[in-house]
Amino acid sequence: MLEKQAVPRPVEAEGHSAHPSPQALREMHLFLRLAREWDLRFERLVRLGAVSKWYSAVGNEAITVAAATAIAAGDALVSLHRDSGAILRYYVDASRLFPDQFPPLPGRRAPPTEPRELLYRLACQMLGKADGFSGGRERSYHYSFFHEEAGIIHVGMISHLGAMIPVAAGVALALKQAGGGRVALNFIGEGGTSTGDFHEGLNMAAVYKAPLVLIIQNNGYAFSTPSSEQYASRTLAERGPAYGVPGVRVDGTDALAVLRCASEAVARARAGKGPTLIEAVVGRMRGHSEGDDSFLVLSEDERRRSLEADPVLRFERTLLESGAVTHPYLDQVAKRCAELVLATVDRALASRDPDPSSLPGRVHAG
Amino acid sequence: MPVKAPSDQVTYLEAISRALRDAMREDPSVFLLGQDVAAYGGAFKVTAGMLEDFGPERVMNTPISESGAIGVAVGAALLGRRPVVEMQFADFISCGFNQIVNVAAKMFWRTGRPVPLVIRCPAGGGAGAGAFHSQCVEAWFLHTPGLKVVAPAFPRDAYWLLRAAIRDPDPVLYFEHKQLYRRVKAPASAVFDAGGGSDGRDGHGAGGGGAAGPPPRIGQAATLREGEHVTVISYGWTAHHALEAAEKVAAEGISVEVLDLRTLAPLDEEAVLRAARKTGRVLIAHEACLSGGFGGELAARIAEKAFEHLDAPVRRLAYPDIPVPYHRALEAACLPSAEKIAQVVRELRGW
Repeated sequence: MLEKQAVPRPVEAEGHSAHPSPQALREMHLFLRLAREWDLRFERLVRLGAVSKWYSAVGNEAITVAAATAIAAGDALVSLHRDSGAILRYYVDASRLFPDQFPPLPGRRAPPTEPRELLYRLACQMLGKADGFSGGRERSYHYSFFHEEAGIIHVGMISHLGAMIPVAAGVALALKQAGGGRVALNFIGEGGTSTGDFHEGLNMAAVYKAPLVLIIQNNGYAFSTPSSEQYASRTLAERGPAYGVPGVRVDGTDALAVLRCASEAVARARAGKGPTLIEAVVGRMRGHSEGDDSFLVLSEDERRRSLEADPVLRFERTLLESGAVTHPYLDQVAKRCAELVLATVDRALASRDPDPSSLPGRVHAG
Repeated sequence: MPVKAPSDQVTYLEAISRALRDAMREDPSVFLLGQDVAAYGGAFKVTAGMLEDFGPERVMNTPISESGAIGVAVGAALLGRRPVVEMQFADFISCGFNQIVNVAAKMFWRTGRPVPLVIRCPAGGGAGAGAFHSQCVEAWFLHTPGLKVVAPAFPRDAYWLLRAAIRDPDPVLYFEHKQLYRRVKAPASAVFDAGGGSDGRDGHGAGGGGAAGPPPRIGQAATLREGEHVTVISYGWTAHHALEAAEKVAAEGISVEVLDLRTLAPLDEEAVLRAARKTGRVLIAHEACLSGGFGGELAARIAEKAFEHLDAPVRRLAYPDIPVPYHRALEAACLPSAEKIAQVVRELRGW
């Protein structure tokens, strides 16, 4: 009789960290709060009619900010539409943004960029303005930004979910071929894991041992479709071992736990051991997009629980309990972030629109 | 190993193979991806021996994942590498369609970031290979801004257009007709000569005039034969049928101008209009299906921009709108041929 083969199980990550320094914790908090204020501002602009559509990242910040904390200038980011936290973390050096409060963090390679200018361009991009990264040709996060001297290699999304996973694998492959231990970080939702490109991209990254960290943000719903109708496996992390890569499942509301998983995955990739699949599980604090009623697909109880599990507030409570920060400190950071976002977005709102005479533009580079 | 042509003759396949080798020698950012391209040397042996010469980092097998392979190539190209992806057969490119038309094709316009990517597509029928190993699918991509599409018919064009495609900053689809691989050959001196000499077009002079001039660039059509009465516009294997047809009807006193597009996108519209105006009687011949085929676009442009020069309706000769049938006799009934082209030329001459 054949012995039943044990199916490799994903690692259940535990909710404690590898003890980042108090300064590193405060920096991570800054970006959690900045990302939150960013999305709150654009949510409000939808209601005011200043942007046509917004896919809120409220609730995803612990995953995106912590994951991008695990990479550095020179690594690559391939993002989707709820990854503002990763983009802000990746683009902005806290010590340049608020030098009075955040001295340069020892050992962290941050991009030598002027953060306020980048944030302004990012806000313009969200609004389709001429000064946005795509000059109004492309919506919100559908842009790319390469500033290689500063170590920024950022490839944005197309609307077809999953399509960017093979591209991210190719970016990772090119980084591997270049040597130097750089990695690519890529996000997908649990709905996007049902695409053929998820399979092809992850499989090829595994075969080529490409330095790719692929993070599934599993918030339980793809637009209105619950995960029970999306996949039948117990977890998504368990797909990792099926591809010959580690699969890790982590509480996506716990920034420190995500940081620990992502850091391990990044270290593994830098060491030439190939990709890691991380499934970060979060509640859904918003609907699919602002203005649709898909948040109401969740039961009242589930909505309440998701909102109570707010990852930004959770991290702030952790910081308070550890004594790393005080209430007035948190209030002050929140105020600074809100003021910065407000001023940046206001400047972008007042900036020039793209000129239709710039069309058709060049479809070819050569 | 590739089949060697006798003496100094270079086959179409060898010209492609040599272009890959020369590009890889010249530019370390060039690398190959494809199913069975490494140790096996590719289904048609175009990449034979390259794994040994360039190593596993530059000659990489892929899983059976066209979308994955093209996506990976796009990612690498975004970082400045120059991947050349081999589709085992052009037919399978449908599995990578989204990566081509939505990711690669739109990238530069959307983001300003070039995607220097080449996808080689062994295309076309005539081998009794059925519906999924025989298609000419170039029209799928001619409707997508941002791509370049080339379809050389001769060893010299095959060599230089592949070199140009690899150097090009844009995604280029390179359609190589399988019937040309070992059947069409030319002297090595003519194929690889960068400066002039004869053009190596299987005995036909460039522009009908002998000297080849500088190597072809993407976007340049070529006049294969000068003529007065009827113009035949074609590309790929069908361009050879057009030449044969021209020879056939010359004996009947009909003088045919033959234009080989070589590049379908960007189109050498000037050359098309010039050739159309010259005779006022135009046949467009291609192996791809009739409806939605490139012939329709060419006919429309000629009608819009050269109408006053026309003495007859623009005709099209193309594959019928059916999948490629398996049995040789059925397939032969569908394929363009010199005789079919000659017949339409006679009809046009009669207008």
